[in-house]
Amino acid sequence: MIFGKSSKKEIKKLIAVNAKRKKFEFPIPFTDELKIGDRQGEMKIKEDDKHGTYLLWKNKKYPVEVLSKNQNRYEILLNGVSYNFSIETPTSYKRLKYLNTKSGSKKNENLEAPMPGKIVEVLTEEGREIRAGEPLLILEAMKMQNEIQAPVSGKVKKIHVKSGESVLKDDLMVEIIIGK
Amino acid sequence: MDTNGKLFRKFIEREDRLNQQYTAELAKKQHNKGKLTARERIDLLFDKDTFEEIDAFVTTASTTSSFGTIKESYGDGVIVGHGKVSGRLIFAYAQDFIVMGGSLGVVHAQKISKIQQMALKMGAPIIGLIDSGGARIQEGIASLAGYASIFNNNINSSGVIPQISVIMGPAAGGAVYSPALTDFVFMTNKTSYMFVTGPSVVKEVLNEDVTNDELGGAEVHAKKSGVAHMIYEDEEQTILGVIKLLTYFPSNNVENPPVMVEPCGMDEVNEKLRDIVPDDPNKPYDVKEVIHQIVDPDSFHETSQYFAQNLVVGFARLDGSTIGIIANQPKVLAGTLDINSSVKGARFIRFCDSFNIPLLTLEDVPGFLPGIDQEHMGIIRNGAKMLYAYTEATVPKITVIMRKSYGGAYIVMNSKNIGGDFNFAWPTAEIAVMGPDGAVAVLYRRELAASEDPDALKKDLVKTYRDEIANPYIADEKGYIDEVIDPAITRKKLIIAFEALQNKHVSAPAKKHGNIPL
Amino acid sequence: MSIKSILIANRGEIAVRIAKTCKIMGIETWGIKTSAEPKAHYLTQVDKVYDLSDVFSEVLVFLDVEKLMDIVAEIKVDAVHPGYGFLAENAYFAQRCVNINVKFVGPTPDAIHKMGNKTIARQIATKNEIPLASGTTRSIRDAADAKKVSDKIGYPVIIKAASGGGGRGMRVIHKPEELAQMFRLATTEAEKAFNDPSVFIEKYIQNPKHIEFQIMADSHGNVIHLGERECSIQRKHQKLLEEAPSPALSPELRKEMGDIAIRIAQAVNYESAGTVEFLLDTNNNYYFMEMNTRIQVEHPVTEMVTGFDLIEQQIRVAQGEKLTITQKDIKINGWAIECRINAEDVQAGFSPYLGTIEKMVLPNDENVRIDSGVVEGDTISPNFDSMIAKLIVWGETRDEAIANTQKALSKLWIKGLKTTIPFFKTVLNHSSFTNGSFNTGFIENELEFMHESTDEEEALAAWFATLQYINEKEKEAENQVDFEQGKNINPWLLNKRMKSF
Repeated sequence: MIFGKSSKKEIKKLIAVNAKRKKFEFPIPFTDELKIGDRQGEMKIKEDDKHGTYLLWKNKKYPVEVLSKNQNRYEILLNGVSYNFSIETPTSYKRLKYLNTKSGSKKNENLEAPMPGKIVEVLTEEGREIRAGEPLLILEAMKMQNEIQAPVSGKVKKIHVKSGESVLKDDLMVEIIIGK
Repeated sequence: MDTNGKLFRKFIEREDRLNQQYTAELAKKQHNKGKLTARERIDLLFDKDTFEEIDAFVTTASTTSSFGTIKESYGDGVIVGHGKVSGRLIFAYAQDFIVMGGSLGVVHAQKISKIQQMALKMGAPIIGLIDSGGARIQEGIASLAGYASIFNNNINSSGVIPQISVIMGPAAGGAVYSPALTDFVFMTNKTSYMFVTGPSVVKEVLNEDVTNDELGGAEVHAKKSGVAHMIYEDEEQTILGVIKLLTYFPSNNVENPPVMVEPCGMDEVNEKLRDIVPDDPNKPYDVKEVIHQIVDPDSFHETSQYFAQNLVVGFARLDGSTIGIIANQPKVLAGTLDINSSVKGARFIRFCDSFNIPLLTLEDVPGFLPGIDQEHMGIIRNGAKMLYAYTEATVPKITVIMRKSYGGAYIVMNSKNIGGDFNFAWPTAEIAVMGPDGAVAVLYRRELAASEDPDALKKDLVKTYRDEIANPYIADEKGYIDEVIDPAITRKKLIIAFEALQNKHVSAPAKKHGNIPL
Repeated sequence: MSIKSILIANRGEIAVRIAKTCKIMGIETWGIKTSAEPKAHYLTQVDKVYDLSDVFSEVLVFLDVEKLMDIVAEIKVDAVHPGYGFLAENAYFAQRCVNINVKFVGPTPDAIHKMGNKTIARQIATKNEIPLASGTTRSIRDAADAKKVSDKIGYPVIIKAASGGGGRGMRVIHKPEELAQMFRLATTEAEKAFNDPSVFIEKYIQNPKHIEFQIMADSHGNVIHLGERECSIQRKHQKLLEEAPSPALSPELRKEMGDIAIRIAQAVNYESAGTVEFLLDTNNNYYFMEMNTRIQVEHPVTEMVTGFDLIEQQIRVAQGEKLTITQKDIKINGWAIECRINAEDVQAGFSPYLGTIEKMVLPNDENVRIDSGVVEGDTISPNFDSMIAKLIVWGETRDEAIANTQKALSKLWIKGLKTTIPFFKTVLNHSSFTNGSFNTGFIENELEFMHESTDEEEALAAWFATLQYINEKEKEAENQVDFEQGKNINPWLLNKRMKSF
């Protein structure tokens, strides 16, 4: 039998959600007419050899590019500032809201290398209680030593790096059990 | 249904009852967990109005025990059927968490078995959408036997039809082995998990606190265990990902992979390729940039992206045809081969070989990863998997040596003598038994120790070594590679080479099956 | 002695800058091609290139005294210009040049040594009655010693590398508990950066202004200053924006501090270009901090307001010429601002942003000068600093210079990576900056947002992101695959394939 009533659902709108969970809704079919606050105008995407791509809105030019994308997540660089959005359908937006209310119960925090470099020194040890902001290790990158601080208070669960070791961006360095 | 016939009354009643089973409240319950219902998932997967359900009205097997109660319902917690995905016949089953938590009873298992066997007979891919509380305790041994028959079918179908498992909820205990036996495992982040023993058992036995997500969540399986090949942030994206991956696969092991209707072309000469690999042999770069410059635009689809990142594997299209790519990633662990990357590579190669997908190897490998850990955990037998898989594969196999190609790792990475059909090298290639530093240290240890200026001597020797041994021209002159090519024309060379190989066939000696070093 | 050829022992922006002046002066320039960046832009700006692109050495040639001396001997140049950074303040390198009678464009090895070692510099300053922040005039040996000294001076104190500069090996300590760890960090960093772990401690002046005087001296004992630069917009001791003159200095104070700067230079028989750095507190007390014995990154703002080419002056002094200008000839004309356009992610704490410059559109307004060592297509790699360009803008008044800089920034487009441009836009708009009251604590204490961005721009970006998503989905839907094609198999193959099962 065929699922008589259900068929691929038409999506009526898409929602761009930023890192702070602020949402920007856009109706489908998608239009070039954009209203922001009380300003409204037609959006144009222009491209030329000299400037590359830019947006033209209300007679102002905004250089724009996609810095990175991963599935439905886009990092857009507009006028030199980057913005992160995930593009959600009404269904996935609901899911996002649900998961956000749930994620308060997160137990572990993984500290990953913010940039490639070399571990100069590990300042903490496994099992030690730490407070947010406490320096955990020193990462040397671009000839500068960077202090990597604890993003949360808690306890060091596991340290994955040794001094002298090289790390790549996003390499797991320290696991922290969140707690007071 | 518009009919007055008496005979139809029951027919209509049943249909109404089935539809009532899927109430809005139950759907909402599932939605409130951030999940979709089985029906919604099926709808997303299949082309509009093409899904045909079978066995919708089966009822749960009766049990003699009074232990626990079973709510009467249709379908026994799983939807099975077939339909079209991108216009092609696909079989699927979707466990329905709304009905008895998607638990697997004997009838449930029979339905899955039935659709698995149909898929195998028809030579069509099968997708399992998994969201199940596990074996139905009330049915006891019968549900375990059900799992066994599903596994049996998985194994029979392995290498005959592509099998994909999509984990969209829990998969615990024995239930994890069906996905493990299939070709690709998809997981939805944060709402799916897989483990053999759950957090409560871990707590009981080891007294360690761990959540479902930390023990067997999508990220864990994508990054650490390598169980999950693809992860996505929500269910819609997950299913779209399945649809996309399917476009690279043939329906079965007799067919060839599908071809793009209108392949998007690229320039024949791509000068960017001359610049990606740095002249400095110790400088890392991202091999994915090389891949993107060779294959059709936006066609590279990486699998196991977050696991063993020192080896990049994935599907792509070259002039519209599917190829499988295995590439060393100099950006991670300098592109060395270790246990995880060998296993990842071997499994990928065997999938491609099963389904007639030609292999392209992009090589820049300084060797196997040294270390006590690696040796003790069996880099020998694990590295052998990759060697075995490459050699065993009979699909067209082409290698491009981009830079380093040293020692045992050179042999493993589809070298000419293990059956590479065409082996190309870029002028930046260094093919030798070991890297210059190692070679100099081994052969000139005494001279270096005696020298007044060992650094200068070493520099000289390294230079001589590069000039006289570690370059592509010696290998070229001796026939160990077929041609040294300008990186800019790599794409063109590959298109011509794969075309020449399209009717390749190798007769293997008759055997039951080889004995891959597992 | 007249210089006919110069080896530029540097790279990037400053190599381009030096080559430019040499060209005008008719001096032949040599650049060094390294394996780290064999296609670098500066190589196109020099007359001759010494090729080391096939040498993969651990130590970059610009830091390798022996290698540089070999090159100098081989190509037989008259002089070496070290630029800034690398060996610019290395007395040993300068001495080696002197030894083989090759002119080192910069001060004498002795002056470099004295000013380069901060403890010696402090001793000289004390002897010449130059105001100093209280602290040690000797290097500190260990953490216990550091604790003793710090307790005496009173917190907060700052640990500085004796051979340091540019913020490396520098740590501020607010509380005694932090001392041991910070001491260790400062010494290891100093050892790494300068091959010298010795440090000294002085009173940390909180949120002062950073004022520096440009000095020019010849080998005949003439010393002048070319006014000051204000470099208080700093992050972790790294300068980001500099201007000349400073809005904080009255003519009297300028004269007073300028005279002191000259006195310090005279105390070491200084020659060539140099910079005397002061800290200025809110009560207009100033403290000598250090003297940099090289051309500075921010030298163009001084050039803009004085009209002198400092590199030319350096070369003329190196040739033994007398300064043709006296202090009276120095007139400060208008205002100049320099923004260091770096490839940094301001939103992620100014971390380096590696990538390729896909497009670079530079403003060509009047009164705008761009010093850059990169062109479109170049990559910003972790091997070197993250500078893309220096934007230097002039105006009649400070307000006009600010307005012109804002205009120039809006016309400066860089694609492919993140830069400090949005940061400067927000700085130039900030009231503490426009009224001149800002100090070195500006970024930390006063700047709420590190970059300029409006809600409207975010909404535009959201629209664009959504469009990208839709386009991608549509493209995927259009990319039809033909499954039937896969069944179209050559009979020869199909037969064999079937038989092999």
